[in-house]
Amino acid sequence: MDKEITLERFAAIVDAYGASPERWPAPERSAADALLAASAPARALLAEARMLDGLLAAAPLEAPSDALVERLMAARPRALAALAPAAKPRGLFRELVDAIWPYGSPALPTGALAASIMLGVALGSVSEISVLNGSATATAAAETETGDRLISLALADVTWPEEWIQ
Amino acid sequence: MKEASDDELVAAVAKGDGAACSLLMERHLGRTVALARRMMGNQADAEEVAQEVFLRVWTHAERWEPGRAQFSTWLHRVATNLCLDRLRRRRGTVDIDDMPDLVSEEPGPDRRLEADELAARVEAALQQLPERQRAAIALSHYQGLSNTETAEILAVSVEAVESLLSRGRRQLRSLLATERDELLRLKETSA
Repeated sequence: MDKEITLERFAAIVDAYGASPERWPAPERSAADALLAASAPARALLAEARMLDGLLAAAPLEAPSDALVERLMAARPRALAALAPAAKPRGLFRELVDAIWPYGSPALPTGALAASIMLGVALGSVSEISVLNGSATATAAAETETGDRLISLALADVTWPEEWIQ
Repeated sequence: MKEASDDELVAAVAKGDGAACSLLMERHLGRTVALARRMMGNQADAEEVAQEVFLRVWTHAERWEPGRAQFSTWLHRVATNLCLDRLRRRRGTVDIDDMPDLVSEEPGPDRRLEADELAARVEAALQQLPERQRAAIALSHYQGLSNTETAEILAVSVEAVESLLSRGRRQLRSLLATERDELLRLKETSA
């Protein structure tokens, strides 16, 4: 059994929500209906509220224009994506490299490291503080040509001084 | 696709599905324009607001979390806030001569109220309401939202919604007293 409501509360309900029971607060709807059936003053309040509802229903209403629908369709996500520059297709090899090294190929840092080792060794060999001794096996034949020398120095089976290893 | 929920349609919109965009507009664009029309008082501004609302849907579709909120309530909230923002900006620049004037257009006693004229006068009366009262009436009376949904959208209590609605309707009753009498006369003569 729903809780009963007073005429005062019924007046407040129609004052705020109008005459249509579907607009009334759901928990009070059936109690308001019950009062309506039993009370002439409640029916008078309802008639007054219905009059205002009738006037409010006359407010103009227009469907969205075709132009608005077209503008929105033109701006839909796919259309926006089409405006952005398309990514170049990536080859199978590139995809494979990316799969193996997601943060980039190690070729560049490895190359840079090799180049710096070669440069360091070359500089050491041409200066007076060279650590290479005459017994190095591959250095003797390549002393005149700088390029050959760099390569041979890098590849030489150098016997490192004992103290360097420790 | 026709049976898809709003959440499913929004997910399809995020993937660039044109049919989903079209169906979502079919379901909600008319109601969004209607809400904005009640708030702004003219169709051009209403369509601008509705366009902004749907552009936000397109933009944010990817981030929409199904089940977190009801899509239609979210739409109403965005549309209401955009209208209130625009009305606040308009308030700073509005010319008093541009305000809807009910008195100067009052029909003579021997003249029946034409439908178009009545529509214009009801719209003018709505525009004379304070913005939050108008928003409450637009959401609750015209859009048919529950008092809980209206309270959530306006970020107030249910009691505050009821108070906004009561004050709004009372003012409308006063503003439309002439039209009410005319309507009563029409009913009596047609009876």
